[in-house]
Amino acid sequence: MTITSQGEELILDKERALYLPKHQLLAISDLHLGKSAHFRQAGLQVPATIGLSDLHRLSLLIEKYNPKTLLINGDMFHHGLNTDIQIFAKWRAQYDQVRFLLVKGNHDKLTNADYESMQIEIHEPSFCLGPFCFIHDAPKNVKEELYPISGHIHPGVAIVGKAKQRLKFPCFYFGKDYAVLPAFSLFTGLYNIYPKVNERIFAVTPKNVLEV
Amino acid sequence: MDQTKTPGYRKIKQWLKANGRRPFKFQEDAWQYYLNGYSGLVNAPTGFGKTFSLFLAVAIEALNESASSNAKNKDRLQLIWITPLRSLAKDIARAMRETLLEIGLDWQVGVRNGDTSQAEKLQQKKSMPEILLITPESLHLLLAQKGTSTIFKKLKCIVADEWHELLGSKRGVLVELAVSRIKGIQGGANNRLLRVWGISATIGNIEEALEVLEPNDQVKRIIVRADLEKKIKIKSILPDDDETLPWAGHLGLKLAYKLLPIIKKSKTTLIFINTRGQSEIWYQHLLNIEPDLAGQIAIHHGSVDFELRNWIEDALHTGQLKAVIATSSLDLGVDFKPVDTVVQVGSPKGVARFLQRAGRSGHSPHEVSKIYFLPTHALELVEAAAIKEAARNNDIESREPYIMVFDTLIQYLVTLAIGDGFDDKIIYEEIKNTYAFKLILPEEWNWVMQFITSGGDSLSAYNEFKKVVKDEDGLWKVKSRQLAMRHRLHIGTIVSDAMLKVKFISGGYVGMIEEYFVTRLKAGDNFRLAGRVLEFIQVKDMTVMVRNSKQKNAISPSWNGGRLPLSSNLGAVLRKKYNEALDKTHLDEELDAIYPLFLLQEQRSHVPRNDELLIELINNKEGYHFFAYPFEGRLVHEVLAALVAYRLSKLLPISFSIAMNDYGFELLSETEIPMDESIAYEVFSPKNLTEDITSSINATEMARRKFRDIACISGLVFQGYPGKYVANKHLQSSAGLFFNVFSDYDKHNLLLRQAYDEVFYQQLEEPRLAAALERIQNGAIIITQPKSFTPLSFPIKVDSLRENMSSEELEQRIARMKAESEKIK
Repeated sequence: MTITSQGEELILDKERALYLPKHQLLAISDLHLGKSAHFRQAGLQVPATIGLSDLHRLSLLIEKYNPKTLLINGDMFHHGLNTDIQIFAKWRAQYDQVRFLLVKGNHDKLTNADYESMQIEIHEPSFCLGPFCFIHDAPKNVKEELYPISGHIHPGVAIVGKAKQRLKFPCFYFGKDYAVLPAFSLFTGLYNIYPKVNERIFAVTPKNVLEV
Repeated sequence: MDQTKTPGYRKIKQWLKANGRRPFKFQEDAWQYYLNGYSGLVNAPTGFGKTFSLFLAVAIEALNESASSNAKNKDRLQLIWITPLRSLAKDIARAMRETLLEIGLDWQVGVRNGDTSQAEKLQQKKSMPEILLITPESLHLLLAQKGTSTIFKKLKCIVADEWHELLGSKRGVLVELAVSRIKGIQGGANNRLLRVWGISATIGNIEEALEVLEPNDQVKRIIVRADLEKKIKIKSILPDDDETLPWAGHLGLKLAYKLLPIIKKSKTTLIFINTRGQSEIWYQHLLNIEPDLAGQIAIHHGSVDFELRNWIEDALHTGQLKAVIATSSLDLGVDFKPVDTVVQVGSPKGVARFLQRAGRSGHSPHEVSKIYFLPTHALELVEAAAIKEAARNNDIESREPYIMVFDTLIQYLVTLAIGDGFDDKIIYEEIKNTYAFKLILPEEWNWVMQFITSGGDSLSAYNEFKKVVKDEDGLWKVKSRQLAMRHRLHIGTIVSDAMLKVKFISGGYVGMIEEYFVTRLKAGDNFRLAGRVLEFIQVKDMTVMVRNSKQKNAISPSWNGGRLPLSSNLGAVLRKKYNEALDKTHLDEELDAIYPLFLLQEQRSHVPRNDELLIELINNKEGYHFFAYPFEGRLVHEVLAALVAYRLSKLLPISFSIAMNDYGFELLSETEIPMDESIAYEVFSPKNLTEDITSSINATEMARRKFRDIACISGLVFQGYPGKYVANKHLQSSAGLFFNVFSDYDKHNLLLRQAYDEVFYQQLEEPRLAAALERIQNGAIIITQPKSFTPLSFPIKVDSLRENMSSEELEQRIARMKAESEKIK
């Protein structure tokens, strides 16, 4: 689905990603790489395939949009270094031509050398581009004239119909003051948000993105 | 060996005689069988000295042997007494200590459960008492300690008290597993030292109850039945002529004033309320309508602080209290002599539970138990009539034991691994000899071992996964102290939300409330706990700080207690009562009281007869309602509703929201539901049952809900522990997420399969469902189209627990819902 925000065209992809054609930039948030391995280290049995499938989805997105830049809007890595991240490093090497940008989030705690070795550019606390300013958490410290795009909360929305029916989906949020991206990783929960007047919500369903 | 010739027996007889008592025949029988090396089950009504039938058996043997006491040793443990409730242990321990003193047996009695102090636990570790009273969870915690295997060396007997209560839950499996390990430590099946006994109230499957406790048919086993009958008087509290009871959803407070004379003329009254939240409201209400009761009534439930509960129990013993409002926390065998009256508020949902509660009054042999039933809504009066009839006919439910619960097995293996470690070959043999896991396949066992050692199946062994590892001595152990601590904190199979302690700012604990309730409170808000109105100040160090409030009224926390389903026995009697009510072919005053309601039901729709299935179709602005009333109990209705919804959804694309209660179920849709007699017979047909049920379970949330407990018990989701909440953000996740992940990436996960099996076998009882459908096929189906809700449909309509089922394309469904919600705006 294509929308216009701050005078620019934005593509909302059902794989929980945002594409800015003008800047050839693909943006995702809350990738939580290494979460499954981190759980396993703590003795919780999470299959590794979950992390692999996140990377596979990201590959498909890169092939689809062929972006110059991939921006990860925080919480790229869930915790410390682990096997999931070794797999990621190898995967990353396939996309030499793509610039990887990380706007640091609360989970991103690797050393600068680690990021460097994986060719990830660090931006803290935000990365601004055109009318937008990407920032992980609740937007503060942003130049007032720019429109912040954040992540962090893993937004979800419930659609309520007649006869007591209710469906819940991850969503994009575009409010008056800022926007929120859905969490990219499938191994994440949802935080329900309730739209007010003049706010736009786009539910991510298995087949497409639609405004609710 | 004839016990009458033994010195121990003579001593006990003498002691009883000195107290003016004589043993009952079943007690002497139990002593004799015990002495002869039997394991078994004692079945006797409450109040006849079930405890003494086994405790004295062990004492007699000890007196006979009169071996020198090795009082300082770690391995002097003789008897493990497993109780399901903490409150039971204290009273039984007191009775045992008094007896031991009087018969001159120099034994210690220890209690070990969640309420036991750390100092006392340490003392026990140095020197075990001869008798240990313990909950199933604490017994597993004992197995989770290092060096504990030695303490069971000389153990002679394990008693599972109130076994009927444990049997039908995963806690029963905890007992089975602990027993299997202790047998193993003592040298396996050849050991004749250890005898395993249970004490059980009457249940429908008492033979099976013994089989579960002692599955080894090479062992001498016996059921000792007391040939005694407990007299029970049941009386319903009926509304006066000019009052009418609400149709649904009330607390019964309207009839509360009728309790006052009952409380007044009784010595002490126990008032059982089904949930903790409602018990708080009842307590306040009784004080409001009769302020003179202040100081004479108390409230007792699982979230009330330990000290306060203790005080209430003591006050019950001494008769200081006129009445105590209680939940299931006081359900079982505690012997409060002054209690002569019991009141049950709302449906007890089962005959066994009702009789058990009745047995709390008139506890002494040959005294009559008196129980009043106070209905909270009109249809409960029919349940009352049904319960009375079932009780008269001794038509008591079975408790189905759990089998193949891999979550509990996984927890148990990790428990052993944080203790002394285990040898997988030995443990495999041990668990194969339990009732719960006798059908386990080698590949299932391998899967479980891989799950805890490598984190998944062999194809994807993860090297970073280090939960249970093989030690140099060849035993499987948990090496990480952090992991061990986390596991210890959540041993057990009762899954609840994280609880926080509630404390006065001036000092002193009040009790516990669920964390999610606290998150909704603002400073200055008032809430009710332990019968007080408290003002919320703040949460500090995982403790809720409060002060006494001057407010009279406040919100009550809604604790997430389990909702009890109607038992199948009761369902059958209930159908019969519906027949009788309109015909007036009965002697039940309850049915007379409810007659006007039945007339209304007949007027608006129809009162179903025994061989009829009533379907009501009601159309209003909410949508199209379909109600059906098979009277098979909540759990069966849940599956049946999903089945009917599934079959209807094959006819056309349609979405349903599903609700149910013990009488029937509702399908609600925004489009008209196709229904006539031929469709009705088709959707209630027993044909293709298994396949259609499987599909309908897949299409709803039932398995996902079962998985919530499974994820907790198997340690996938860590919930913290009452009062000891450990925040660990990095590891937070939800059972729902795991359910999705396993469904998508690990289809062969046994825990996932268990969730489906639990729906299929525990909840559904396929034969029962098939029988119900046969009954419907051979009877008449009556379809009515009432203009408004009927007395039968209203209680279902207001039920808030709902399922969903849809055969519409998701995209279309969203579009439609969106359009609808815009119209609503």
